[in-house]
Amino acid sequence: MDGGKVTVGRTAGLYIGAAVLRLAIFTLLPGLPDLLTGRVEISTPVTSFKRLQEGLFLYNHNVSPYDGGVYHQAPLFLPLFSLLPNALSYPIFTYLLYIAVDLLSASALWKIADSGEAGSSAQFTSPRREKRWSGFVIAAAFLLNPFTLATCIGRSTSVFTTCAILHAIAKAVSGAPFGAMVALSFASYLSMYPLLLLPPLLLLCYDRQRPDRADKSALSFAATHVPVVFGVLALLFGMSYLITGSWEFLPSTYGVQLTLSDLTPNVGLWWYFFIEMFDSFRSFFLAVFWLHLSCYVGGLTVRIRRQPLVVLTLLLGIFAIFKPYPSISDTSLFLGLVPLYRHVFPLMRYTFVIAAVILYASFLGPAFYYLWIYAGSGNANFFYAITLVWGLGQSLLVCDLMFAVLRDEWEVERPEMVGKEIRQI
Amino acid sequence: MRQFLPFFSLSLLSFLSTTCGATSTTSDTAAADYHEQLVLRPLPQSALLASFNFRSNITVSEFEAHNFRFFPRSLGQILQHAGTRELHLRFGLGRWDSESWGARPWDGAREGGTGVELWAWLEAQSDEEADHKWLTLTNALSGLFCASLNFIDGTRTTRPVMSFQPEGDHPNTTATDTHLLYGVLPHEVVCTENLTPFLKLLPCKGKAGIATLLDGHKLFDASWQSMAIDVRPICPAGGECVLQIELTIDMVLDIDRSKRPRDNPIPRPPPGHELPCNTSKPYHSHDTCFPADHEANQDWTLSQIFGRSMKGTCPLTDSKVPPVCLQVPNSRAVYHSDGVLEKKNLDRISRCFEIKPDADFEIVLPNPRDDQENNQGAITHIVKPETPLLYAERSFTGHGQERGGMQTILRNPSPDTAVEFIYMESLPWFMRIYLHTMSARIDGQSGKDESLVKEVYYRPAVDRARATQLEVRMRVPPASTVFLTYDFEKSILRYTEYPPDANRGFDVAAAVITILNSANEAVYNLRTTTLLCSLPTPDFSMPYNVIIFTSTAIALAFGGMFNILVRRFVAADEGPEVGLAAVKAKLKGRLAVLAKRFGGAGAKKGVVEEVKPVPVADVKE
Repeated sequence: MDGGKVTVGRTAGLYIGAAVLRLAIFTLLPGLPDLLTGRVEISTPVTSFKRLQEGLFLYNHNVSPYDGGVYHQAPLFLPLFSLLPNALSYPIFTYLLYIAVDLLSASALWKIADSGEAGSSAQFTSPRREKRWSGFVIAAAFLLNPFTLATCIGRSTSVFTTCAILHAIAKAVSGAPFGAMVALSFASYLSMYPLLLLPPLLLLCYDRQRPDRADKSALSFAATHVPVVFGVLALLFGMSYLITGSWEFLPSTYGVQLTLSDLTPNVGLWWYFFIEMFDSFRSFFLAVFWLHLSCYVGGLTVRIRRQPLVVLTLLLGIFAIFKPYPSISDTSLFLGLVPLYRHVFPLMRYTFVIAAVILYASFLGPAFYYLWIYAGSGNANFFYAITLVWGLGQSLLVCDLMFAVLRDEWEVERPEMVGKEIRQI
Repeated sequence: MRQFLPFFSLSLLSFLSTTCGATSTTSDTAAADYHEQLVLRPLPQSALLASFNFRSNITVSEFEAHNFRFFPRSLGQILQHAGTRELHLRFGLGRWDSESWGARPWDGAREGGTGVELWAWLEAQSDEEADHKWLTLTNALSGLFCASLNFIDGTRTTRPVMSFQPEGDHPNTTATDTHLLYGVLPHEVVCTENLTPFLKLLPCKGKAGIATLLDGHKLFDASWQSMAIDVRPICPAGGECVLQIELTIDMVLDIDRSKRPRDNPIPRPPPGHELPCNTSKPYHSHDTCFPADHEANQDWTLSQIFGRSMKGTCPLTDSKVPPVCLQVPNSRAVYHSDGVLEKKNLDRISRCFEIKPDADFEIVLPNPRDDQENNQGAITHIVKPETPLLYAERSFTGHGQERGGMQTILRNPSPDTAVEFIYMESLPWFMRIYLHTMSARIDGQSGKDESLVKEVYYRPAVDRARATQLEVRMRVPPASTVFLTYDFEKSILRYTEYPPDANRGFDVAAAVITILNSANEAVYNLRTTTLLCSLPTPDFSMPYNVIIFTSTAIALAFGGMFNILVRRFVAADEGPEVGLAAVKAKLKGRLAVLAKRFGGAGAKKGVVEEVKPVPVADVKE
């Protein structure tokens, strides 16, 4: 049919366009990848490509990369990147890998958008669901988002986590719980924090089971699928052990995220807090910060039980603000999922403020960082203030999206209240 | 006759055949338990190198029996307690200007970088035991030498693999039970409080002999100075092993500065007619002066340079070793005090002085310009410095407080011999070096040259636990300059980890370069200067503010979400009233009730007092 052809053409056009755009940036601006790799907004100690290269160099020269303070990334990256030709002499292969990962993420996002899960889940159907953007628009918004582009050009390894998370969700909405669990295990293996997405993802899988082999009891469903995650994780750890020959990668990759021993500045709220924290309270506040990060999982999963995809989206937004080493890559993942909720956009109250704050922080952040580190005319408080603004702007977006989704749910019970002033008691 | 005897035996040593040589060497180790010597060597640019060397021996059996004799008891007990087989301690200050001063004294073997350096071979069965003994050793030495050696902790200790070789003989030992540990404190400021305990280790305690010349004011005013303590076991073939302690002080004094009178130390420009001018310049006139070469200014006396003259000799010293030697060409006239015997050595560039035990000693070097008038023709007033095997300079590259680079320029001056050496750096953990960026290239060629670096030993730093250790075995071809570069990242620390003067920067220890000969033995050592690395700093006045601001941001986010999640939606006109209007209404109601109650109470009171029978209900109405 004609329509199908057009769609295929549009799909290919978008992917080819995005790939060509990235390749053009890589080749026409050869200094840009290294510049972006060095930016603290893009590369964190746990995702930096330069640190990956150092780890790779040590790994190839028989020095354990985990017996040092530089490399904090998952061990399986080492053989993966060892297969590629040297990134310094043949950078094109690395570029192609990163472009492919971005396109894979976009295709997963496309699948999520086309499933319509955002508008009508198993237990809830929004009256506004007809008003939505197609997968094409959502994939395009993700691929052409400057944050996604910068992450890809900066070759941050968080793109692999993004891809794994999006594939986990895509598998879940397409009724493949096993695939979803495996993808989530990969994401957790790479960055640890995606493990917190397990409860809402399980619910999403449970809701979207194929009717022919549906497991009626949620408990037995969980009991069969949670072991899959831990089994795959154990397998990955075992492979890592075989690759590195010891367990010292565990404290070096996950321990660093838990204890925040590397205080390199980033866009999050942790680094300056723990620079300035009194030594005797450091462990207490580390525990509090981690507890705070994980406390949202239970609350959101229970309160928005009827729309697990919303829970996943909101959690990804929360992680982009409050995780130990956030970067704009996490924001780009969250911003990639937000357009799925086109139908509740009219219910959001502060869209202009949010857009203004995020733009303000995106432009002023690099400027203030320059003033602190290079010009010396500002101090650390400049950049810290911008990270606060950035965090507040994003939390406003998360709150507003949450409000819009809940009001949308409420309006099903009270159809007469559509468009009316409401308040919360 | 008694004075001639040493001279005679010395010339025997240098001249006669092996039979005599063998007898004198055995007597050297057995009988001569202590000797001291000062070597003075004028250097170009009006500098003077003074090398003090004090050496004493003790047999191992006496050492183990606590019969210390010339060996300092305080140090000996520490060494025994910490199981130290060989010890090297260095206190350094300043920079050796090898471009003009040439090769280093003792081939660089008796010097350290700026600050304090300590390396020792410890007897231990395991690494943990070695660490424990090392801790004991550093803490004890810290107390003995009034230096912050106790700050040499795990983050400043490395275990060099290639750079250091034991100087002494270690029979009956295996590699597994001897551990080499190396620690360095580049920030330590060496001063008088380190010299005093140093002098106390000498048998004559600085009261007699060449040690009387060691004055803190002059020593620490030097352009470059290094104090070294070396303890090593020496086992002559067939003889009993002896433990040898060698204390060395080298300093390069600026003659102009040293001659400045103590009561008028502020430098002032000399009047015009006293300026030494180079009259050969075409533009030389009464108002134009090109400064004459510094070499010209080489007249000095011992008391001008050291602030005092030498008081006799130490009576314990081996009388066969002349206490003072001066390295100037034999043609140059040197005057000395009475009762001193001057002996010109056969190498034509040095002479030594025999001094009576109780006589003051003074030498005077007249201005060589006056000499010149007597001896017509150009003579060199000083011994031409030897060209070192390698020149090394290290500096930081890059800008900003985030990323940096290290560049070491290594120049081989020899026209025909390649130099092979080990370059060792021990960097603090907060400089995260990227080894994959390390490259070596020859000046004038583009691209890195893989053949320069032979071998790399690298042990990366662990945050707050271990320093980076980098040892590179390199080869610099003849007459070429090599650039060794790598990148590093400056990490930001917890605010309690910064020193009080955080914006001054952090000292980075000198790189140690050990030049090897074809048999892989160290023939020459040199050290680069220390560097100052500035790290990004947080605002130290803000801990409370940051805690409050961040907590507020988190509370706002959490509170906002919590509100939305737990509160019910109602229409604006449903449910209990809230907002300003509700508060107003509530307040009004309260006030009304209060007014009523007050009004009621007042009326009731009056009623009770005056008209008893009037019912309360009436008042209410």
